[in-house]
Amino acid sequence: MEHLGAGLAAFGVLGPSIAIGILTGMSSAAISRNPDAASEIRGLAIILAGFAEGLGVLAIVVGLLAIFIK
Amino acid sequence: MANDPEMETVATDATDTRPARRRAHPLIWLILAVVALDVIAFVVAPPFPRGGAPGDACAFPVCFIDGNLEFPPPHVVWDLDPANPMPSGSLVIAFHPSITSTLLTMWIVELALLLVGFAATRRPRPVPGRLQNFVEWAYDSLDGFARSTGGPAAARHVPIFASFFIFILFANWSGLVSPVGKVEELRAPTSDVNVTIGLALVAFTYFEAQGFRALGLGYLGKFFPVREFRNGIGAGSIAVFVGLIELMLELVKPVTLSMRLFGNIYGGEVALAVVTALTVALLPVMIVGLEAMLNFVQALIFSTLTLIFALVAMESHHEEHAVHDGALSSEGSTGHEHLATSPAH
Repeated sequence: MEHLGAGLAAFGVLGPSIAIGILTGMSSAAISRNPDAASEIRGLAIILAGFAEGLGVLAIVVGLLAIFIK
Repeated sequence: MANDPEMETVATDATDTRPARRRAHPLIWLILAVVALDVIAFVVAPPFPRGGAPGDACAFPVCFIDGNLEFPPPHVVWDLDPANPMPSGSLVIAFHPSITSTLLTMWIVELALLLVGFAATRRPRPVPGRLQNFVEWAYDSLDGFARSTGGPAAARHVPIFASFFIFILFANWSGLVSPVGKVEELRAPTSDVNVTIGLALVAFTYFEAQGFRALGLGYLGKFFPVREFRNGIGAGSIAVFVGLIELMLELVKPVTLSMRLFGNIYGGEVALAVVTALTVALLPVMIVGLEAMLNFVQALIFSTLTLIFALVAMESHHEEHAVHDGALSSEGSTGHEHLATSPAH
């Protein structure tokens, strides 16, 4: 039963992946509209992608807890 | 002329077949070194089933993966209290003094960083040597980044920002250097929940202390705004409700800091172990490259978030919106940019 729970918890990674996809698309559009700001947009995008990824990691941690805590 | 036979020392292409003086791109050597190390490790220490001895029969793929995988609690290298064994079972939190693999690696990383620090600053010269120049460049770029992210008020927080960043960066990267993944006695420090929770608690203490130092006991007024009751019961109760939510968000900050770092580094280690178990040599190189970049980003995020939380804690309630605008906008913006709604934090 724990493995089922862990597998369901892994679905939580769907949210941040969609978020990072949207971030990538919009930052690419922003760079194309304003190429001079490319380095700032790139820096900001990397940091914000890290934030979004952190939340996906919380889902993985729940899955790990489900398996390793009897 | 397209093919000028002049000798150049700068390599353009590793597949160039012109003879003699061209050297391959240094990245190619790095990739070959990692592949060679993986093959050597596989031959010298093949995976054995968990709980067995080296040399037991091991089927591909299940046993390979099982032999390479590491559980979240770290391996104990030296048990300091053998009389009372570690309670096992459904306990989440247990206190048992021991030297674990992550602690050992953390000491090694810290020792190396301290040695570099001492060697670089022992006899500082106005025209710096190579090591001092490198260390100065590193600190200077961190300083510039902190100021561009947080504004000029970030200058007092640069030392702790730089300390967190350098320590977490090299602690993360130490998990990719080759003995650390394979040998039981060494493991990346930040892949252990204990270490990341400790780091998050230190950061939490730091920015709470900064908040109290800047605002005195009025810092508690952010979470329990009893002053709003002067404007009437309705406004007062709304303010108390908002204050409770802010208190919850404040307490969530160390949790997210620690869990984000732990999950990224431990998950990276699991991914690396599984891919190394399944395909011994070539694919792990790509994972190592990906992990190197992700570890850098996670170190940057931890330290930047500590900096921003410290700055936010120091602001009184009315200036909060200006800090949110200034701290998160890119460095090229001049003048005031007031967002229509302040971003919820």
